[in-house]
Parts: sequence; C-alpha cells; structure tokens
Amino acid sequence: MFKLNLKIALRNLFRNKVYAAINIGGLAIGLTSCLLLLLYAGYEWGYDRQFKNSPHIYQAMINLNDQKGEVIRTINQSQNVMLAALKEEFPDVLYGARVTDVYKRLVANGEESLKLDSRYVDPDFLKLFDYHFISGNPAKALNDPNAIVLTETAAKRIFGTTDVLNQKVRFENQVDLKVTAVIKDLPTNVTYGFESLTTFTLYENLNQWPKKPNWGSHDYYTLLKLNENTDVNAFNLKLKGFVGKHFAAAKEDVFLYPLTKLHLYGAFLNGKSIGGNIKQVQLFVGLSIGILLIACINFMNLATASTQGRAKEIGVKKTMGASRTNLVFQFMLESFILTLIGILLSIILLEFSLPMFNRLLGIEIVFDYLNPTNWILIFSVLIITGFISGSYPSFYLSGFNVIQSLKKSLNFKKGYALTFRQVLVVIQFGFSVVLIAATITIYKQIQFIKNTPLGYNTNGLLEIPHEGLLYEKFNLLKTRLLSSGAVVGITQSSGSISNKNSSVRGLGWDGMSESDKMIDFDQIYTTYDFTKTVNIRLLAGRDFDQKFASDTAAILLSKKAVEVMHLKNPVGTSIVYQGTKRNVVGVFDNIVWGDPSKVAAPMVIAYADISDVITMRLNPHNSLSESIGIINKLVKELNPNFPVEIKFIDGLNEIKLKNEKILGTLANLFGCLAVFISCLGLFGLSSFSTAQRIKEVSIRKILGASITELMTLLSLSFLKLIFIAIVIALPVAYYIMNNWLMHFELRTSLNLWMFMATAILTLVISILTITWQTYRAAKTNAVNALKYE
Amino acid sequence: MIQLTNIEKYYANKGVKNYVLRLVTTTIKQGEFVSIMGPSGAGKSTLLNIIGMLEEPTYGTYEFLGENVTSLNERKRIELYRNHIGFVFQAYHLIDEMTVYENIEAPLLYKKIGSSERASRIADLLDRFNIVAKKDLFPNQLSGGQQQLVGIARALAAQPSIILADEPTGNLQSAQAEEIMELFKKLNQEDGITIIQVTHSEKNAQYGNRILHIADGVVKEDVTVA
Repeated sequence: MFKLNLKIALRNLFRNKVYAAINIGGLAIGLTSCLLLLLYAGYEWGYDRQFKNSPHIYQAMINLNDQKGEVIRTINQSQNVMLAALKEEFPDVLYGARVTDVYKRLVANGEESLKLDSRYVDPDFLKLFDYHFISGNPAKALNDPNAIVLTETAAKRIFGTTDVLNQKVRFENQVDLKVTAVIKDLPTNVTYGFESLTTFTLYENLNQWPKKPNWGSHDYYTLLKLNENTDVNAFNLKLKGFVGKHFAAAKEDVFLYPLTKLHLYGAFLNGKSIGGNIKQVQLFVGLSIGILLIACINFMNLATASTQGRAKEIGVKKTMGASRTNLVFQFMLESFILTLIGILLSIILLEFSLPMFNRLLGIEIVFDYLNPTNWILIFSVLIITGFISGSYPSFYLSGFNVIQSLKKSLNFKKGYALTFRQVLVVIQFGFSVVLIAATITIYKQIQFIKNTPLGYNTNGLLEIPHEGLLYEKFNLLKTRLLSSGAVVGITQSSGSISNKNSSVRGLGWDGMSESDKMIDFDQIYTTYDFTKTVNIRLLAGRDFDQKFASDTAAILLSKKAVEVMHLKNPVGTSIVYQGTKRNVVGVFDNIVWGDPSKVAAPMVIAYADISDVITMRLNPHNSLSESIGIINKLVKELNPNFPVEIKFIDGLNEIKLKNEKILGTLANLFGCLAVFISCLGLFGLSSFSTAQRIKEVSIRKILGASITELMTLLSLSFLKLIFIAIVIALPVAYYIMNNWLMHFELRTSLNLWMFMATAILTLVISILTITWQTYRAAKTNAVNALKYE
Repeated sequence: MIQLTNIEKYYANKGVKNYVLRLVTTTIKQGEFVSIMGPSGAGKSTLLNIIGMLEEPTYGTYEFLGENVTSLNERKRIELYRNHIGFVFQAYHLIDEMTVYENIEAPLLYKKIGSSERASRIADLLDRFNIVAKKDLFPNQLSGGQQQLVGIARALAAQPSIILADEPTGNLQSAQAEEIMELFKKLNQEDGITIIQVTHSEKNAQYGNRILHIADGVVKEDVTVA
C-alpha cells in the first residue's frame, strides 16, 4: 500500500509539472529562509554556551543608585578590587578573572608587526573557559606575567605557523612576551572574544592606574565561577550593601548575572533585565515561521484547488473499501514527499546562500553536516511543514462524498472550501504587505538619520590612532603634513569625532540648581585646530589659540550646553569643570557624536593634551591616492614600529547604522521572498480557478464579451482577496512600525504615502501575477472548451 | 440476502418533498441476477446507491445479510465494501494514475491481503479476462470495453458476494456490451455471485433472471425472466 501510494504520488508530480514546480519551488525557498533564520537564531542563542563551565559562570554587574536608592543605570563593568573582595568573603565564589575591554594591541615578531584584538586577563580566565589548546598548558599558560596566549589565526599571521611555543614577541613596542599557548580560533558567538591574551599583572606593570585598589572606578569585567549548588538569587541578596561596606561613598549594588544570559538579556532598566538581543532572535524566529507558513499555505491552496482531478480517485477508492484513515495517510504521504524534495532542494540553496547571509550579518554560521542537532532541526522542520501543509488537503479531500465526487459535481462544500482558501490567501498577502511596509519604513528611517546634519563635514575627513612616537612628534607630523599639501587641517583629540567615548557630570556654573549636577555632558579633549579641522561651526567666540597662554584652561560649550546651563552671555564666563575653573572662550553648534538616532547631548570641548586620535582633513585640490600615500609615508617615518591605520570618518559613521541596515536588508530580502512565494501560490491558484471557469468564459465569449471584460471578471475574485489583505494588514503594519520607530529619539514619521505605496505595489504585483492566466483563459478558442461537453 | 422494507427517499425543498423513491419493498436472494429498469429520473440509480450504502434512505429499513444496515457507521460500511460488495460503474472509474495491475490490486491492499495471495489472484483475473498483456498499461491506453473489463476484474478481486453495476455497458458499443453482459451471466451462473444492475436496455436485462421496473420512484413490476 505504501509503495503504491508512493508511486501514485510521484506519478502525480510528473503529470502536473507546473503545479509540482510551483509547490516545490515555493516550499524550497520558504524552507531555505526558515532554515537560515533558525540557524541564525541558534547562533544567537548559543552565545557563550560553548564551554563546560558556561552554566556556572557569572558576571559581576553594578546597579548605580540615585539619592533615594532607586536604580538609575546598570553597568557591566566593575572595580579592580571587586573580584578579590568577593572571593575573600564568599566561599561560594570558586575562582574568577578580571577582563579588560578588547583593544587593538601591537604585537611584533621582528619586522612583522600587526595589531591584534587583545585583552588583559587574570590567569583563571583559562580555567573559566575551556578553550581548545593546540599547544601549551591551560593551567599554567598565564602564570608568568610576561606570557601571551595566541589564537591559531593570530599565530599564523605573526609567525606563519602555529608551532610557536616559547617564541618571543614584542608587545606594544614596550615589552617582550613569551608565547605560552596557542588555542583554536574562538567561535564568533562569544561575548569575550580576542586574538591574544596577556596577563593582568602585565597590565599593572605597564600602567600605573590598574594596580591601585580603587572602589571608585568601574573599568573591568569581573567574571567568576560560582559553586554549582549555589542559588544565585539567594547569593545576590547577600550582596546588598556589599560595595557600601568597602567604600562608604558608593551608591551602588553589585549583583551576579549569568554569562549565558548576558548576550540575549543584557539590556537593563531600573535594575531589571528587559531583554536585549533576544528581541532580534524573536523577530527572526517569527519571520521564519511566517515565511514557512506562507509556503505551507501555498501547498494547501494548490492541493485543495486541484480537487477536481482527485475527486474521482477518492470516490472509487472509497467504494473499494478505503477508510478515511487510508486516504488521509495517502495525502499526508504526498505532502511529505513534496516537503522532502523541497528540503533537499533547500539544503542546496542553503549552501549557496549561507556565505551571503554571513557576510550580510557579519557572522559565521556554517551548516555542519556532522552535527546531529542540525539534522534534528531539519527533521523537525520536515515533520512540521509536511504535517501543516498536508493536514488541510488530507482531511478536506478524504471527506468527499462518494456519489458527488464520482459525478464530478463541483458544488459540494463550495462555500466552505472557498472561504477557507480565501482566508489563506488573505493571510499570505497580509504578511507580505506588513513586510513591504516594514521595508519602506526602515529605509525611510535610515535615510532620515543619514540626512540629519552631523554638524560637521565628513568630506575628506580621516583619522589615525595617536600612538607610539606620534605623541612626542605630533607637532613635527603636523608641520610636515601641512607643508606637504596633503592635508589642510590636522588636530589631536581624546576620542574620534565619529564615536562618543566620554561623558562627565557635576559641572558647575552660576545660577545652577541642585538637579543640574546630574546632567551628563559629552566631553572631548583637544589642543588646537579641532573645530577648524573637523569643520564645526562656531556660533560665538573662538577656538583655542596658541596666542593666548590662558587657553590651556579654556573650554568650549555646545549650543545645547549653553541652553541647559541657561547662560545668557556664555563667552567670557567661567565654569567649574572636573573641579577646576575653566574660561568659556567659544560656543559651537551641536554635533552628532555617538548614536545618530539620539538627540544631541550637551557637550564640552576642553583643552588638554590627552589624545588617542589624530584627525585630519585632506586637501580637496590633491588626488586622494596621492594624499593618502604621503600620509602613509610620513606617519611610518615618524612612528616606524606601528602600522599606519587610516580610517575615513564617513565609513565610521556608516558602521553606526549597521544594525538598522541589516534589519532593512533582511526585511527587504525576506519581504521579497514572501511576496514571491505568495505570488507563486496566487499563480497556481488562478490557473486552477480559470481552468474551472473555462466553460463559463467560452459561453460569455460567444455571447460577445470582450477580452478585457473577461479578464476583469476572472481577476476580480482574486483582487478582492488582495484588497481585503491590504485593508487588514496596513493597520497591523502601522502599529508594528510605529512601535519600532519609538526606539529612536530622532525618528521619521509614518506617512500616508508609504501605506498607499505598499497597497499599490501589492496590487500591481498581484495583477501582474494573475494577468497571465486570465489572459490565456480569455484568449482560448471557445470551441475547444465547449466541444468536450 | 437483501431485504428492503418501505424504503423512501425524498429531498425537501422549501417544504415540498420531492420523492425519488416511495415505499419500495423487495427481497433479493443470494445468487439472483437482478436488473433494475425504468425511464430517466425514475429512481433506479438512487435505489442502487441505497443498496450499495452510498446513500441513506429517508425512511424504511434495509437488511444486508440479515443485519440492519439502514444507517451504518463508517467502519462497518468499509468492512462490507472490503468483503462483500463490488462496484462497477458506467464510466469505469479506473484510477488514472494506476496501471491495470495496480487498479486490480488496490482493493486487495485495502483488504490487507498478503503479497503472494494478491499476486496469484490478480494473475488469475488477468488470465480469465484475457488482459495479461495489458497489465502495465494505464487506463487511458485502453479501449472502453477493455477498461470496463478491468473495472469488473477490480470489482471481483476482493471476491465479493454481490456486484452492483450502474449501467455497466452504457458507454460501450453493442459488441463490447454483449461481451460484458455474457461475463456477468457467467459470473452469476458459475460463481454464484449476486448481481444487481441498472440498465436502460431491455436486451441487457434479459441476461438476468429478474427485472424490477421502476417508474416515479415506485416498483411497478417485478418480473422473473424465464
């Protein structure tokens, strides 16, 4: 029986090639999208779960409180003494490590020098995470303060081989380190990624500040392993007031947060987790289910629409003693065969699309054929899809009445069947409409942010890191570059103009109120020529000037800063900044520093010779490549031990919109796919429907109906459905996109035209899809259709 | 074998009852070959459908093999189809996607008959109806008469005790029709299979041993053929 059913199913496929192609094609595309999105969701979900200790690793988080003890903000960095204090007082804390932020550090092997993503960590870091060691001993690798652990790729890049145990490298041009271990490259879905690890002791030896016990500064990530039987919630209760005990002035509480939840649930509000990347995962899973559903709906629609051909078979089988179960099983089998072919096809599609998808999202997902989890995933998708898409047709078809199905009477259950199929089409197109509207909204928001004036000119603006010998030779570099004609302006600053990296509170000025102390000001340090080079507009006063010796204690305020300080004549007044008096010499127009979707914070530019970045503006009259060549040469000459890294501010600003762009591309991509699959279904459905009405069309033709009239007649029943879908979906789209826009302080508005465009686009696509079928039907020779009666 | 008592069938339309069958009472014994005759719309097919349990009567009782089957649940009915009743249709109703062999095999599969038994029965039927050479062809590759032979072979495969045939020769030329009717006669006489056929043709009716004349839903005459 199974064999016969299988044979019939395959013969049916071959007989109705178009139907099979539409069905399998739609399914394969739907399944590929679904698998891609699920793999991505799995990737996100797998963050930090790769390690044996993962379930027991916690990160110390700090809730910063206000005067009343309410949580203002939750930060994930803690003090340098936190770990030691916790270990001393709580035996539940087994071991742990302090971890610094990842920085590009210069690592050199003789002439070969390059910058690696590096972290300073305590030795027990290697106990927390059981990395795969190619060489070296995890227990001892970081015991020597001058040890360095490299990843496989890093080792190959420096030495050309991984066999580098006990080799020497020059670190930051300051100290020689010995390679004590080489580990396999980390998966990309870990929070604490790196290319090289060095010891925290080295960090203390190279710098002054980390060594001094300091309860007032939160600079390091504190990771620790808790006893496996310890209840973390109970443990956190014991931590109340812990910081205050050590540092009376502190208004903060430390608590432990599971590392495995950090990535997905790492956003905090009022001290409680409010989600995080989990929202993205949920979005993707939702999207994948939606697309799969659209593909399943296609299947159901086409299978039930083809009932005319199957009715006889069902009737005869029933008289031969086929039970309903027999028939349900047969149709389910057909559905599973189609799904299976679809899945095989989608695995091929997956192989082709995965690299593109990875590049798009900047991640590394591979479909591991040896991993049973992946096959479980595919198998469950097969079962679910096969079952969903087979269920309606099987129960619908197997319920046919024998006599009517043998008489080929098509009136049976018509009202009900059509209603259900209509609902399915409405769902399909409703989903597509929402995606189209989302694409338009996201695109508009990105354009809106892009078009928001930055407050400075990015044209020909670039930066290099201020490091090594460039500190002492900055003035030399400046004169040489300016005289070379490659640049027209050059300046140093404590941070990049493209990224907010520092803020300060507690400024003092005349007439301020108590609450003004809590206002955060963005701050950047610079010496001379900053506003000139970056092209920030001065609204009053002037920039710092070498002619005025007093300018070393001067400060510039942004327009917004002047507003929040309520200063009438800002230039010439003095304010208290970082505890000392500073003269305001100028007021500059607001600039976008940091998140471009946020309203600009008040900002100060303070004179100080503290610098990480050199910013310069290219000479617009010279060719780009020539100028870059000169900069490369001069910088290398002055600072030979460091590679020259030129970054364009334009590019840096682009990166800030990365998330929105990814979302836009995804909505666009999967929106197009959803529309395409829906149209495939509509195409198939309209072909069945017109085939059924061919006699009616022929008679009308004989009665004198024109082709246009006939096409209108045939199209209208479908367009009605699309119209209903649009009417239902647009408010949903409005609601969703309105919610999405609420995340942005600076946001575009939702206009009527966007929804009109969505509606028109959907209608046009549907009309184009249906037209082919209706045109063919309307053009058929009436005789051909009628003579078989 | 079949006992129909006061069978009525009507369709109510806006309170008006349109009778198809009125108070039909008859008995059909094992081994009979009954032809149901009458003009179009007389209710012949409806009567046959009721006998075949494809339709339920509005009133009356129907006993099949001594069991009341007037309204039977699906499982029981399927059991009867699998073991006792074979259908032959005017339009043959072979399954287009199946070969001749598979069409004959299908009822045996539903009956869950073992593969060797299946093979021998099908071989036997193909042989008996002279269609061995056609076993791998699809229905649309056969003539009407050949299709109907396959249809009858299929009906016989499950070794039913009764065959219900609705105008089995209605779509056939007279020579082919005769062949089919001879076959029915032989099945009735040699194998003792009860046959009930609906027919328009007086000539075909003569192959049987009893004729029920129906007009306007009523059995007008019940004639025994000599």
